[in-house]
Amino acid sequence: MRAIVAVIKDTFSLADLPLSERIAFVAFLVFVFIFPWIVHSSYPRAVMINFLLFAMYGLGWNLIGGYGGQVDLGQAKNVGFGAYATALMITWWGVPFWVTVPVGIFIAVAESLAVAYPMFRLRGHYFAIATLCVALVWQQLFLFWDWTGGARGVELPIKPTPNFTFMEFGTVGYHYFIFGLFTAQFLFMNWLRKSKLGYELQAVRDNEDAAASLGINVTWTKVKAYLITAAMGAVGGSFYAVYHLYIDPRCVMHIDLTILIAMTAMVGGAGSIWGPIIGAALLIPLDMYLAALLGGKGFYGIDFIIYALIIMVIAAREPRGIWGIIERIRRKRLIHAAGGQKST
Amino acid sequence: MLLEVKNLHKEFGGVLANADISFELKAGEIVGLIGPNGAGKTTLFNCIAGYYKPTSGKVFFDGKDITGWPAHRVAKVGIARTFQVMKIMPTLTVEENIMIGAFCRTGDRQVARREAQKILELVDLMQEAKAYPPELPIAIQKRIELARALATRPKLLMLDEVAAGLNPLETKEIIQTLQKIKKERDLSLLLTEHVMEFIMTISERVIVMAAGRKIAEGVPGEVAKEKKVIEAYLGEKYAKGK
Repeated sequence: MRAIVAVIKDTFSLADLPLSERIAFVAFLVFVFIFPWIVHSSYPRAVMINFLLFAMYGLGWNLIGGYGGQVDLGQAKNVGFGAYATALMITWWGVPFWVTVPVGIFIAVAESLAVAYPMFRLRGHYFAIATLCVALVWQQLFLFWDWTGGARGVELPIKPTPNFTFMEFGTVGYHYFIFGLFTAQFLFMNWLRKSKLGYELQAVRDNEDAAASLGINVTWTKVKAYLITAAMGAVGGSFYAVYHLYIDPRCVMHIDLTILIAMTAMVGGAGSIWGPIIGAALLIPLDMYLAALLGGKGFYGIDFIIYALIIMVIAAREPRGIWGIIERIRRKRLIHAAGGQKST
Repeated sequence: MLLEVKNLHKEFGGVLANADISFELKAGEIVGLIGPNGAGKTTLFNCIAGYYKPTSGKVFFDGKDITGWPAHRVAKVGIARTFQVMKIMPTLTVEENIMIGAFCRTGDRQVARREAQKILELVDLMQEAKAYPPELPIAIQKRIELARALATRPKLLMLDEVAAGLNPLETKEIIQTLQKIKKERDLSLLLTEHVMEFIMTISERVIVMAAGRKIAEGVPGEVAKEKKVIEAYLGEKYAKGK
């Protein structure tokens, strides 16, 4: 019993984060929690929900892309598997939402396992291209097949809200729903990054030969991370389906989604726990407000130009993203405080 | 016999890097592997540690045939190694680098951390525990690699040019460290080295390689006097002239 308590404590512990980060995180949680009470108009609320969803996508992607250093450009397929599993099972058979989630996870993980071994024979750019191609194939298949609804997509039945079987709510309900999912995933990732697998992944990212010399099975470590990332994407997809009550391959399997997910992590700082959250906080409001402001005036697509500019600046100035800049300043201060000695 | 290499051949597209190498290493022994540049020392290391598959021949460790096993399995069975060109995880702290080694034997983060602490003390790196390796001098980085290999709890530790690039004082320090850890951890050591002072001091037995072949084996002082060895290092003329 005590051992179980210890494991739970260890899992949800924020103890290895510096005090300033713990305070910032708790303040952030409180802010998100009371957000629907302060803000009553629907657009900012939708932006908030989308931000939490993308922070969650980013946290999942960060495992393979950040800690594992494998640039995966196929995360949209996993979001799609989750979304379609939920949408189709609810419309066809009226299966409760919570039953469809594990099915979506199972499909995403099974598919990822099937493609992982050949793909991890490739490295760097070639791996990124392979993941991109696999995701594109799935998008085309889902467009082409009849049973998936093809390009028309799937409409989920609308129920009287709140409905806890099919998880349909008003905006506030969805807000707390995604908030719960996000928090759970954050705590899981915070534990995972300090676990054996987390360290093994970082070792593999930094140097594969050295990792192997320490008894780490390089390929299997990458595969494990890839599968967990896939599962995370599927959970996000399931939420997407019941939140929008409509899906098609354009919105849940498209390359734009993949790129936005990867960008939230990379802009914020891949390989850090805060990176995806910072990235999503910057990109999602930018994306949604730009679309609302300029899209109507015929400037459709201007958000992509701005993304491209951000990517260029990040790549040139600090490849570790915004969090990398913060870390660098911090480290400088620390070294400075230690009396200018480099080795402390 | 802890390690047994039998008639090991390694070819790279027709180039023979190791030809018919056989030797043995008893538990608790310190064996030095020397030879001029290009003698095939590192290739032999890589064949034993699972980075290369031998073209033919066998490698036995602790009674098991480990020929052609992948590197991570070789590490699990109890062979740790360091690299000639250092391969340290630059984005992780010194302590975390060593913890990764410790994860070879445990899945528990707290156990790994305690093990890392012990080893940090053993190799005298307590001060640097929270630093990042690229910030540290070469001599310290060499120690980190050594510590990390040690954390996997090996029976045999293979060190590829651990003294290269160190000054005489640092070399002396690393010899002391190695002798200390050997005593405390019940290890066997297989080392390659160019720094003769280092290898002749620490080894109980040396194996001399040249052009991919084993040309001599014996106690350090005697091997250095052998004609074939002098020839390999200094050329035929020099050997005769003496």
